[in-house]
Amino acid sequence: MFRPIFYLVKKEFRQIFRDHIMLRIILFVPIVQLFIFGYAVNMDLEEVRLSVLDHDKTALSRNLIESYFASGLFIPAPFASNPGDLDKLIFQGDADMTLWIPRNYSADITAGRPVQLSIAINGSNASLAGRAGGYAGAVIRQETEKILEDIKLKNPILAGRFRRVEPVTRFYYNPELKSRVYMVPAIVVLIVTIISGLLTGMAVVREKEIGTLEQLMVSPITPAQLIAGKTIPFAIISFVDIAVAAVIAVLWFKIPLEGSILLLAGCMLIYLLVTLGGGLLASTVSKTQQQALFTVWFFLVFGILMSGFFFPIQNMPQWAQLLTYLNPLRYVMEIVRGIFLKGSTAQDLLPQIIPLLILGVFTFTAAVLRFNKRLT
Amino acid sequence: MISADIDTVPKTALDNTDSSAPTDFAVLANKLTRRFGNFTAVDHIDLAVKPGEIFGFLGANGAGKTTAIRMFCGLLKPSGGEAWVHGLSIKKKAEVIKRKIGYMSQKFSLYNDLTIYENLEFYGGIYGLKKSEIKERSKELLDNMGLQEYRNKLTSALPLGFKQRLALGSAMFHRPSILFLDEPTSGVDPVARRIFWEMIYELSENGTTVFVTTHYMDEAEYCDRVSIMVKGRIAAMDSPAELKKKWNGANMQEVFLKVVET
Repeated sequence: MFRPIFYLVKKEFRQIFRDHIMLRIILFVPIVQLFIFGYAVNMDLEEVRLSVLDHDKTALSRNLIESYFASGLFIPAPFASNPGDLDKLIFQGDADMTLWIPRNYSADITAGRPVQLSIAINGSNASLAGRAGGYAGAVIRQETEKILEDIKLKNPILAGRFRRVEPVTRFYYNPELKSRVYMVPAIVVLIVTIISGLLTGMAVVREKEIGTLEQLMVSPITPAQLIAGKTIPFAIISFVDIAVAAVIAVLWFKIPLEGSILLLAGCMLIYLLVTLGGGLLASTVSKTQQQALFTVWFFLVFGILMSGFFFPIQNMPQWAQLLTYLNPLRYVMEIVRGIFLKGSTAQDLLPQIIPLLILGVFTFTAAVLRFNKRLT
Repeated sequence: MISADIDTVPKTALDNTDSSAPTDFAVLANKLTRRFGNFTAVDHIDLAVKPGEIFGFLGANGAGKTTAIRMFCGLLKPSGGEAWVHGLSIKKKAEVIKRKIGYMSQKFSLYNDLTIYENLEFYGGIYGLKKSEIKERSKELLDNMGLQEYRNKLTSALPLGFKQRLALGSAMFHRPSILFLDEPTSGVDPVARRIFWEMIYELSENGTTVFVTTHYMDEAEYCDRVSIMVKGRIAAMDSPAELKKKWNGANMQEVFLKVVET
């Protein structure tokens, strides 16, 4: 029962270690990726050029403007004399963000009437814009909270008419908003996804191409043994890569690993059901390694873009947000970041672990069934 | 699948309704049929191969030879009819059959990035052989083939003729009693083909049944019996001598052309 699996795994490792290009993909690409994302990709907000048009010209409006520049995130851009000029500044690239404070700002706010501020952000870099917008909103909330406190002291009855200001929690676990802290754990996920999903699929299809799969199919090995023989090597390699990436993350990038390593390993094992299953599924619909590559790549790009890795999920339109619930990467990103940055426990992560497990079991079962059908 | 065809089980199988019936023959087919959509690749073929026989399976490209072999080996399910390999139904006992047969296709199915020994070890391993058995058999095989000193060389470095014999060696490694060879000699030079056929004779003398498809009519002469397939049907089947007499041909080449043209 286990002897054929042993020889299948042994053969697979021999082929991997004999193929120097493959070996490089497995060992060096993850490390290079880690360093590139860790150092080169800087999504931190620095120096957002802000142009302000203050039509209110009161102490309150000046307070608001000051708190923007006091954050250190915004630097002054050229001034504008009317709202149309504000837009021009953005179009010409002289400002990244503009703020227009209307005439009745302080009067309205102290009277408890709704206040409208106008903020415009250059959205050509969607990710930066999202973060700058988040920050801009946070500054306003902080400022209004301050005003509210003041009013409460002076006139408690009036204060009751204000709605509670929602707390700002978005950047809590990464207070400096260092993208490195946020990125590196996610890279661990990416590496595992690529290694296990892509290589498994290609390893099966390669045997189709050279005709050895047919030779395996006339032998008494069962589809289950064949699947085990094809997935175990890449699962092992994935774990080696996870370990290497985690060590570099912690020791080199000083990313805290707050949570349990065992929990991390367990969750990755669940996630491997998805990726190995996906790789096998791709191999059943592909005749050549190129086809397998593109099939896996297609889903990989979707999965990554819709995972919250680059773009925050809450910035997506409603239908796209709903779609991300089917994306295993979404859950595993949250799990890995949770374990690394927040020290989340298994209990904390149940809302992510359960859907991931469901998706994993579903994908792997589908792959095994399809694989069985193809072989008989 | 058409179950009505199974009602007409051949005489040898009548005593037992179970699949373990016609053990007198190494391979037995009864109205074996395979369709792909509207196309019938194998059309109600009947044949019986005796143990130890070298059975030649001739036909033009697309005549259905490979489809038939793939059904015997359990790679394809028949659309109709039935066949038995060693008395085991290919529909019901495909997994058991797999332990008893060896298969080699024109692709040779060796791993070029493994050494000669690693290939043998792998094929032995997936058939469940023990490490000691693998060592023993590979030594014997490599000695016979004169490849002992190259055992740690990559298979990709071997000349085609050697690769082909090594492929036969690994298809034989688990000592099957029936060997299915699907155009094993395509693309190999005449000398290498000759050596290859000497290996086949040796296997046959030791009791192995050899079921071989080929395009080479000189190879057809080496077979104990030959069948010629035309468009999915068996158009002629007998010993080469009988066929030549019956079709009035000087050699198998002439016989083949006459059979195909009628």
